Amino acid sequence: MAIGVKVVARPIEQVSYMRATLKGMALTFKHLVNPHKVTTQYPEEKEPISRRWRGTHRMLTDETGKAKCVACGLCPQICPANCIKLVPGEDEEGNRYPLVYEIDEFRCIFCGYCQEVCPEEAIHVGRHYENAEYSRAGFVYDLERLTAQTHPVCEMWDPDDPKGE
Amino acid sequence: MSDAKMITLTIEGRQVQVAEGTSILEAAKAAGVLVPHYCYHPGLPVAGVCRMCLVEVEKAPKLAPACATAVAEGQVVHVHSGKALEARKGVLEFLLINHPLDCPICDQAGECELQDYTFAEGRSEGRLVEPKRFNPVEDFGGDVLYVPNRCILCTRCVRFMDDVAQEPVLNVSERGDRAVIGKFEGQDLTHPWSGNVVDLCPVGALLSKDFLNKARAWELDRTASVCPNCTQGCNMMVETRDNMVVRLRPRPNDDVNKYFMCDYGRLNYRWMNRSDRLEAPLVRRGDRLAVAEWEAALVAAAKALDGKRVHAVVSPSLSNEALYLVSRLLERREGTGAFRVERGPEAPLPGVEDLALRSDRAANVHGAELLGFRRSDTPMAGLRGGDALLFVDADPGVLDVTDLGRAASVVVIGTTLPEVLRGADVVLPIANMVEEEGTFTNLRGRVQRFLQARAAPGMARPSWWVLGDLLGTMGEPGNYFLASDVFTALAGARAEFAGMSYDTLGLRGLPVMSPAGAR
Repeated sequence: MAIGVKVVARPIEQVSYMRATLKGMALTFKHLVNPHKVTTQYPEEKEPISRRWRGTHRMLTDETGKAKCVACGLCPQICPANCIKLVPGEDEEGNRYPLVYEIDEFRCIFCGYCQEVCPEEAIHVGRHYENAEYSRAGFVYDLERLTAQTHPVCEMWDPDDPKGE
Repeated sequence: MSDAKMITLTIEGRQVQVAEGTSILEAAKAAGVLVPHYCYHPGLPVAGVCRMCLVEVEKAPKLAPACATAVAEGQVVHVHSGKALEARKGVLEFLLINHPLDCPICDQAGECELQDYTFAEGRSEGRLVEPKRFNPVEDFGGDVLYVPNRCILCTRCVRFMDDVAQEPVLNVSERGDRAVIGKFEGQDLTHPWSGNVVDLCPVGALLSKDFLNKARAWELDRTASVCPNCTQGCNMMVETRDNMVVRLRPRPNDDVNKYFMCDYGRLNYRWMNRSDRLEAPLVRRGDRLAVAEWEAALVAAAKALDGKRVHAVVSPSLSNEALYLVSRLLERREGTGAFRVERGPEAPLPGVEDLALRSDRAANVHGAELLGFRRSDTPMAGLRGGDALLFVDADPGVLDVTDLGRAASVVVIGTTLPEVLRGADVVLPIANMVEEEGTFTNLRGRVQRFLQARAAPGMARPSWWVLGDLLGTMGEPGNYFLASDVFTALAGARAEFAGMSYDTLGLRGLPVMSPAGAR
């Protein structure tokens, strides 16, 4: 049951691998003498990230080191992922202050609404991405942890043009 | 009312007919149009000081305050015309001159009329460049805190204390832009109804110390209910947050409490959240009470009551439904039922007819009496030797151990298990008043519904369910799936309640029939 296959003779310059090999080697040697680096040597080197990057949260503090939060309840209200737990109460001076303020970073979708809605500029999404933890529980950030973080925070808008004009 | 002259006028293009002498504001309400207002309140005399309710009346030379202008035949009123809106925008701008922008820390935020109307009709930006006036927070005594910066001087609180509580404690002190609400020298807001000024305040100037910084208005779930603290039966709203009752507020009902509620009722809600509750049925096994399934516990309870005369000691704060089922049980076992009522001083609100914090501090004294329970200071006296004692959520203060010794068996149906009742044979957990549905009959014989505001703990069931199942286990025909089924059965069995159902009661209640058959 042999099938009649017609063998067409091709010109030698089309079937030879020599031409392609030389072309490839030429590129290789070009990179050897004139390297074009694409690999970042992380973690020694880090890529710059956008000023509007939205990462894990940070709570800003006033000059006495206390969280600026007044427990107004807007961030748990606006949060689409329902990841903020807030129990309002009073501090030693009788001012409105959160007794419990926890953000579940696993549940968070990093929309940044909490930062946008905050009337006291207290809660911010952070400009960083190194969030590894040894336990799942470590991803529920409490008020102490949120205030202790020092990484830069997101600028929701262009600081040179804050009103979008 | 029927012989009053009716007047027809047009408000915002809608024709309404109201009685002569009605204000434009009330007529607009009847037409379904809200005229923004601060100083006007239907339960208080008209002052006309806030100028927020200015409306345009055709052929009138200038804008009229809707709260203080009586309707006239053929009047055409524009609430949202350009002129009226412009005037109210100006009023709002003046009100906001000294009002701080502290909504994030203000307890009124979310239920603040200044917030609402500014959002609806005010300017989007302030034009004031001068610094705002500042006055420190003042403690008004009682449960009330005064934040003068937020005050818009509507004088609702002053008028309430002068005309309704009739104990003039508050006044407007100083003049012009320095004016604040002040107290007369040496007096405090200690009137038993003074907490109402917090509800009356349209802004966050008068705050409840009890509710301060506890929750935001938009987080609260509101449930219509009836105050269980005295026989007056004031209509109220139960406000819960995360299944916890955080605040009680009056719910308007012209036939009972108008717009008001006393401080005792308002602040006595912590027991609704208590955590030491019975959560599972318990049945005696030897010398201890063991957790049991509901079915087994009901069988054990029926057995404990079987073949003996039953004496029931009930709480006068049980619903009509629960008391009716207990009375059915007693009829079956030829038993007797009694209750004791906690008493306290009576505190009337002079400005409202027939409204007081009553000395009988239980919700359903009248209902219990109608259903055949005997009021007594010693409700245990009716327990004869060899009787079965059925103890339904009553005050354990009526008991002592020697009383219990006379009982052949003890069945406890309750929200908690007091120490003296640890010797009970069967314990059935029930929901408390805010965890179940039911009705109370107040001292004027008005039957009023209350709805479920929070979830009952553990396996606890509503009292009508437990008692209905217990009756079923004892062989009584009838099966109840809803509180309304029990109420329908009650209405069918008792002449006083004839013709009533949850639908006809609504949320304002109906009076019971007098023996002559009249409502």
